[in-house]
Amino acid sequence: MEKRTWIKTVKVLCAVSVLMPLLTGCWDRLEIEERAVVLGVSIDVAEPEAEREEDDITHLKGTFPAPERGLVRVAVQIALPGRIPLGPGEGGGGKGASAETVWIIDVVGHSIDDAFMNLQQQLSSRLFFGHLRVIVVSEALAKKGLGNVNDYFRRNSEVRRMAWMMISKGKALEIMKAAPQLARVPTLYLMSTLDEGIRMGKFPKDYLGIFWSNSSKKGQEGFLPYVSLKKEQNVEIKGLAYFVADKMVGITKPLEIGGYMAIKGMNPAGYQVFVKLDGSSETVITGATHRNSKLDVRIKNGIPHFTITTALEVNLEEKISEAININDPNILKEIEQEQTEASVKLYSDIIKKTQEKGSDIFGFGEYVRAKEPGYWNKHIQTTERWREMYKKMTFDVKVTIKVRRIGMKAR
Amino acid sequence: METRQITVIQAAAILISTIIGVGVLPLPLFAVRAADSGAPLVTFLGMMVAFVGLVFITVLGMRFPNKSIVQYSEDILGKWFAWLGSAFIIVFFAVLTSLAAREFGEVVVTSVLKTTPVEVTVIVMLLLAAISTRNDTTTFAYIHHFYFPLLLFPALLIVALSLNNGDVINLQPIWGNEPNGTMKGILTIAALFQGSFIMTLVIPSMRRPERAMRASIFGMLIAGGLYVILVVAAVSVFGAEEIKQLLWPTLELAKATSLPANILERLDAAFLAVWVTAVFTTLLSSYFLTIQAINHLFRLRDHKIFSLFILPFVFITAMLPQNIVQLYGIIETVGRIGLSLTIGYPGLLLLISIFRKKRGNPVGEKNLDKNS
Amino acid sequence: MLRGFKKSKTKSNAAVPSLFLEEHKNDRVTGNLEDTITFIKGILGVNDDFSMRKFHVFGKYPAAMFYFSNMINQTLLNEDILKPLMYPPSHLEGRSIEQDQLKDVLLNETLYHSEGKSEQKLATLVEGILRGGTVIAVEGIEEAFFVGMRSIEKRSIDQPATEQVIRGPREGFIEPIGTNIGLIRYRLQSTDLRIQTMEIGRRTKSTVAVFYMEGITNPDLVKELNKRLSKIDIDAVLDSGYLEQYIEDNHLSPFPQVQYTERPDKVVANLLEGRIAILVDGSPLALVIPTVFSQFYQTVEDYTERYLLMSSIRMARLIALMFSLVFPSLYVSIISFNPELIPTEFAVAVAGGRAGVPFPAVIEVLIIEISMEVLREATIRLPQQVGGALSIVGVLVVGQAAVAAGFASPITVVIIALTTIGSFATPAYNAALALRLLRFPLIIMAGVFGLYGVMIGLIVIANHLLSLKSFGVPYLSPLVPGDFQGMKDLLVRGPLWWMRKRPAFLQPVDETKLGGHTYEDLKNTEENVLDPSKYQK
Repeated sequence: MEKRTWIKTVKVLCAVSVLMPLLTGCWDRLEIEERAVVLGVSIDVAEPEAEREEDDITHLKGTFPAPERGLVRVAVQIALPGRIPLGPGEGGGGKGASAETVWIIDVVGHSIDDAFMNLQQQLSSRLFFGHLRVIVVSEALAKKGLGNVNDYFRRNSEVRRMAWMMISKGKALEIMKAAPQLARVPTLYLMSTLDEGIRMGKFPKDYLGIFWSNSSKKGQEGFLPYVSLKKEQNVEIKGLAYFVADKMVGITKPLEIGGYMAIKGMNPAGYQVFVKLDGSSETVITGATHRNSKLDVRIKNGIPHFTITTALEVNLEEKISEAININDPNILKEIEQEQTEASVKLYSDIIKKTQEKGSDIFGFGEYVRAKEPGYWNKHIQTTERWREMYKKMTFDVKVTIKVRRIGMKAR
Repeated sequence: METRQITVIQAAAILISTIIGVGVLPLPLFAVRAADSGAPLVTFLGMMVAFVGLVFITVLGMRFPNKSIVQYSEDILGKWFAWLGSAFIIVFFAVLTSLAAREFGEVVVTSVLKTTPVEVTVIVMLLLAAISTRNDTTTFAYIHHFYFPLLLFPALLIVALSLNNGDVINLQPIWGNEPNGTMKGILTIAALFQGSFIMTLVIPSMRRPERAMRASIFGMLIAGGLYVILVVAAVSVFGAEEIKQLLWPTLELAKATSLPANILERLDAAFLAVWVTAVFTTLLSSYFLTIQAINHLFRLRDHKIFSLFILPFVFITAMLPQNIVQLYGIIETVGRIGLSLTIGYPGLLLLISIFRKKRGNPVGEKNLDKNS
Repeated sequence: MLRGFKKSKTKSNAAVPSLFLEEHKNDRVTGNLEDTITFIKGILGVNDDFSMRKFHVFGKYPAAMFYFSNMINQTLLNEDILKPLMYPPSHLEGRSIEQDQLKDVLLNETLYHSEGKSEQKLATLVEGILRGGTVIAVEGIEEAFFVGMRSIEKRSIDQPATEQVIRGPREGFIEPIGTNIGLIRYRLQSTDLRIQTMEIGRRTKSTVAVFYMEGITNPDLVKELNKRLSKIDIDAVLDSGYLEQYIEDNHLSPFPQVQYTERPDKVVANLLEGRIAILVDGSPLALVIPTVFSQFYQTVEDYTERYLLMSSIRMARLIALMFSLVFPSLYVSIISFNPELIPTEFAVAVAGGRAGVPFPAVIEVLIIEISMEVLREATIRLPQQVGGALSIVGVLVVGQAAVAAGFASPITVVIIALTTIGSFATPAYNAALALRLLRFPLIIMAGVFGLYGVMIGLIVIANHLLSLKSFGVPYLSPLVPGDFQGMKDLLVRGPLWWMRKRPAFLQPVDETKLGGHTYEDLKNTEENVLDPSKYQK
């Protein structure tokens, strides 16, 4: 008994002494305040003369040559610990207040990682992308291709798939520098613009991860929010920037986002439209509350043919003059009819618009792949071939609109 | 000497927590590579293949309820052939242990502890397993029994949270668009179930070995079911093509989900932390299997000496692959070769034992009184 | 003869009286009073509190009375012993009592005390005196009378200090074992209650009583306990805690494998489940074996209040238990390793709070934790009047000042405070201590490996718990190995009528504790007695 306890003690001691060296290293410990918490990143095409700004950090002439592609200008928004007060407090204040909560630095580089390394070379604390919420890419760069951007952020394990990537009209850096009044941290304001957009039915769920998934799919292309800076340092969602592979090829109008969402049947619905009544020059505004949509695919003459059946429920929200009586069922019927016609046209236009570019942001191709695998395997198989086929694809749009409520006013 | 204490539930729990391990992380990738949107089907077929192997082992175990495969193979094949087979089993499971430890070490080092040396994470896991194998079979069963709800829960939570973002279109057609690599994929996935070989050690300690088949079926159904729904969730959220771009789609799935009300904004690090238990139980089982097999082969009394003795060998094997691409190459190859050992060998044994009409002694009466 | 014997052994006598007593274990009382007096005085006479009173029984036979004057009730002695011995009883008046009858007369007719007997062995007599008895030796009788008249000051029966309940009995054990046995017998008036006593402690000769229920408790368990107890050979057993450390299975484990309680009702409940209780004279804490982990977060009150409420409170207690173990380490690993897990706004704010703190989070948490432990220890030591004030000063002022001085971040203080409060919510002090202790290695693991380290640490703890056994009962029963009956009283407290069986892991002889159809019968006979419709006038 005695002996056994001794052996046990010795064993435990051995185990402890084996484990001790492990405890001496704290390899990965990096306090939160020692990290440069990157909240937002903007990526621009750099002006050609910017090359002089850059030092040879990841590349050296002769040994590690820099890539031939153009330079990018990357700006990061880093949270300044201590400036953002805990809990509810003296937020909002003066105009300068929010500008101080973050620090914006921009650098140039040949690639994203190159730019970040250039930045890291100038920064004392380690860049930390765990809280990266918004990536703004300028329209110019998006047109050149996002391949490098996607690759870098997908490879980096810290980046979350729930972040937003958006395309800016003009310089992305401007959006990073914007200091909206509503939030203490500008990036979080940007983020909530889009997050609230989802909840109000203004914008589809299109996080970075979803964009990536859509881009990878054979029968679908990705799209990203297209935003522009307004005069009060706020940001407007101006439409969908749609892609072919990793290159941006076009932009929709804001209302067409609603059209896109209606075709996909995404809820909640949140777009309002003018409906002009036939016969009279009276106009009312209706707001959609619920969308429902069904896609059917048939192969017609070797070309996929889609029937898109969309049903909308709308509320009447406003009328321009008192001339018409809403409590007349015929008027409501008329509103429904008018809006149906307008909607069919809207939806068809969007599809045609994307068809011209061969950018299937709706995922019709995925439908074909899923529902008509025989056809797909025989004729399409690859992304490129679907892009061609998408241009040829035909479709019918059927829309049903029901006016449900007219508000508190009786007529 | 050892008491027969393991119940059917415990045996099933051992199976489940042994099967569910680090293999879950790249699982959707393997499945999708084989058959695109047919990944769930491939997973299911892989499970069926693995189940065949498990049935062989269970039937053998029920024919020889007092012996493990190392012992009854001697009765069936004769001493020398059996010795060869057992040696293969020992080496194979030692390698399997080391590969699992390395794989998880790589996952941890790539995604969470970036500057920690991979050797450290591997040795910590191996030590944990080695020390825990020093317990007897009953405690071994307790450990599995205790951890298995902890394995199911996070996996199911992630599935439940992510199905919200899923899209059925991604899962169609259910047999996939280009099912050319299906056969290979089925075998790769069946290889992920190889931990079920542990059943051969469990049966001799079961309170009622005649119920072993029930445990096998339950264990396989739950573990396999979890595999399938994980694949379903991953494919429906990401789509087959995106998964091909991800090294560990399951982990990515955790990254893409956040708990309601933003308690935790992303689950990957938390999931990985909880998954340590899953990897631990898998390592524990394969390590335990290795040691007990050595023990039975050399007819030793005490298996404790070996638990630390083979640790350096396992560790060195784990460190052999040069990089992660090579590691996965090795894992797939070893896994497929191993299938001949975990399915073929028991099948052969069973066939011969039926031909030669070999049978073990039934369980002694004394062990049954507790249940009556 | 005795005198001669003593002389030769004077040396050892003077050095160690107890050894001398050991040697003369079998010496008997001779009829010679002087011999007896010398023997007893030789051993005990040096002590100033020892009294010897010489007198004459019935006025003729010389006698002597020995006792420790502070251990007996003097008044009773005078009234009930001394007086009747001096005056012959009225019915014997006038009759001459012969020397050979004297013993019977004295024992049967004169001694006015229930606890009286005659004893031959001198050593036993001495021990009796030591225990608070009175010995009366009479010239010519070859036996001495032993009268138990112990009267030691004791405190009154109080509310248990450590296990207070809102609903339930208010009595707690006190030090003398006699009172404690009474408290148990009073609650368990059954012929099945068995009490075995033994003496442990070479010097203290402490009475140890083992309680169990015949027909419920597994007899093998009783045998095993007696085996373990009989092997204990130590000088002193001053508290039941001494025994606990000898009879537990794993001496290195931080987890208690024996439960202690100062509540008689808890002891009785445990006896009825098939456990064994051990009481030690001089200790107000009973030991209960075998023990499983779930007992440490259960209280008596769980069973007296209604099940739905107590189930949720039990869950809260369990959460507090887990919190007290892992909260600081989780904090450290999130702050220093995985800040991406918490919401962005919060992360930025935490970074702000920590901005001025010079230490890494691990060190910061360790410093605050250790100072918290110091504070806690100080509060126990201090007199009650000061204690409360000090803890307020300590927690509020020091905490606030530490934050203001940039020594700790406000969130750390919040975390540590929550942890500390959590550890107070655990009903069993010894289990809470174990978890408090284990918190530190976990914090260090968190500092090295982050969440991964915390998980490794927890797995080590869980594996230890899984391999731990208390008298062969797996420590995590009834969770592992799974026992459906036991689960009803594990995380939640099921309705009493659900729990028909005693815990199976104790392997009780009689498994059923609830009559077959109690609940159904009650339900069937239920009637709306005072239904207003029946009494309409």
